[in-house]
Amino acid sequence: MSLLQISDLTKKVGNKIIVDHLSLEMDKGEILGLLGPNGAGKTTTIRMIVGLVSKSEGKVFINGEDTSLHFEKAMKQVGVIVENPDLYKYLSGYDNLVHFSRMNSKVTKKRISEVISLVGLDHSINDKVSTYSLGMKQRLGLAVVLVHKPSLLILDEPTNGLDPAGIRELRGHLISIVKNEGVGVIISSHLMSEMEMMCDRVAILNKGKLIGIHNVSEMVEDECSEVGFEVDRPDYAIQVLQSFLAGKTIIADRKQIKVRIPKERIPEISQQLLGAGINVYNIQTVKKTLEDKFIEITGGNIQ
Amino acid sequence: MNLIRNENMKIYKRKRTWVMVAFVIVYVLIQIINLKTAEDTDFGKDWRTKLEQENISLSKELEKSNTLIIEDKQAKKKLLLNQYYLENNIPPDTNAWSFAVGQISNIIFAVSLIAIIIGGEIVAAEFGSGTIKLLLTQSASRTKIYFAKYTAAILFGLFLTLVGILTAILFSSFIFGLDGLGGNYFFVKDQTVVGVPILQALIGSYLLNIPFLFLAITLAFMISAAFRSTTFSIVISILVTLVGFILSIAMNGWNWTKYFVFSHTDLNQFIFGTPSVEGMTLGLSVGFIILHLLILHLISYPIFVKRDVA
Repeated sequence: MSLLQISDLTKKVGNKIIVDHLSLEMDKGEILGLLGPNGAGKTTTIRMIVGLVSKSEGKVFINGEDTSLHFEKAMKQVGVIVENPDLYKYLSGYDNLVHFSRMNSKVTKKRISEVISLVGLDHSINDKVSTYSLGMKQRLGLAVVLVHKPSLLILDEPTNGLDPAGIRELRGHLISIVKNEGVGVIISSHLMSEMEMMCDRVAILNKGKLIGIHNVSEMVEDECSEVGFEVDRPDYAIQVLQSFLAGKTIIADRKQIKVRIPKERIPEISQQLLGAGINVYNIQTVKKTLEDKFIEITGGNIQ
Repeated sequence: MNLIRNENMKIYKRKRTWVMVAFVIVYVLIQIINLKTAEDTDFGKDWRTKLEQENISLSKELEKSNTLIIEDKQAKKKLLLNQYYLENNIPPDTNAWSFAVGQISNIIFAVSLIAIIIGGEIVAAEFGSGTIKLLLTQSASRTKIYFAKYTAAILFGLFLTLVGILTAILFSSFIFGLDGLGGNYFFVKDQTVVGVPILQALIGSYLLNIPFLFLAITLAFMISAAFRSTTFSIVISILVTLVGFILSIAMNGWNWTKYFVFSHTDLNQFIFGTPSVEGMTLGLSVGFIILHLLILHLISYPIFVKRDVA
């Protein structure tokens, strides 16, 4: 049984279809990213999964439990942060934790102190949340959603408003949680470089439709990548390589010449260049990012 | 239930709440000072002559024609009570207990206005602060959260009333003394004077005045849950409650008030008095109030449970 199963999830508002028959599945120990431009339906999808927004059509199963039929049972296994974790500012961090752990049965005091040290808030847990920094609030938010040991974490745009250090910290926490507690995580974001670093798989949404699900490692490691050679005589280098790499496009960019080749061909090319008396100062592989891939998949038609 | 404990924590851990409690205490104190300075509470030995004088002036007032029905009623009541005191040779006595009984409807009115603040924000504030997203994605159905919040708001109103009554007894005892617990509370029912033990009157009128509090809090809660606006909810509820309270007194005795819910919320009229309009009964009034509470919930409950939190 999959941890999360979504079938034909649809949201219509008036004549507008915001999410269009979306189906996907995910398993434990996996980080799945929902990727898409603004307005693609990521947030609506997540809010339908967690019951904040009603579904026009379709079903959501969490560990086989239908969320429309057994909401409380299904949600016992889920921790949700939608956008910034808005907590009760006038309560202390500890009271916030007590508040939300009371809403789920079987949370012990020991578990509460466990999550506090997990997110490293031991020193400030008795301070009012209004005195917390955004990063601390983010950590407390994580503690709140982890306190009842969910098997599925759902995060909607968790990196919104965080500075690079905060994002990095959050990423570290998430990866360790997945490793240590074996939970599955679903994250929506429009920050592609972030998703590339965090996720195992990404589901790409555009205009409410699921365009494809890809393994991040496969997407990024392509067989051919762009390699740049920095040389002293680029014109001559092009001449040399043109006969050697027949049929390939060679681009000259000031002192650099760029070709798309598999990794294995780098040594022989450099040998050719050196053999022709051309000095090579630098060889650089330009990694193709998820962003390039994303643009490619959505046809560049983001709007 | 844990959800109610949560709501209580969110109410009582805020300093603001204790400012409201302080308001109620100050209000009661003002009432005590008011009574002490405005009315002669110590009748002394010549209480007979004083009551007789009062009765003469009351009779004169009754002869005037430009008075409201309620004024006539009050004067007649006072007249009957005074005559009863004179006939039975009971000196009128103001003590902490009789003061508290007399103040209950005032206290409930003041408490309602303050409890409206809590009732008006208990749902809307969660939307305002964004915490609603976390609250509704826990393992608790929206129905449970709705009723936990409503219960907490009502409990806060009852707590505030209790604070008010206890303050009234405590502080007035410094001025009027605690004697008289064994005495009787006298009221006019169907043109005759009846007396009940003062403690019975105290508890009785507390319970019988509570519908007003319920109606005020439920109205605020309904607007809060349905429209998600704290300000809107508090302002409208306070306005409606104020106007309702004033109309129910000023229009007391007019026939149309039979269909006006605020004329029903003081159930004291059936036990410790005379109904404001002939034909009104306790059962009818209770039913009428419950009908109003139900309608309010029928508006807000479906909206709250079905709303998309975007």
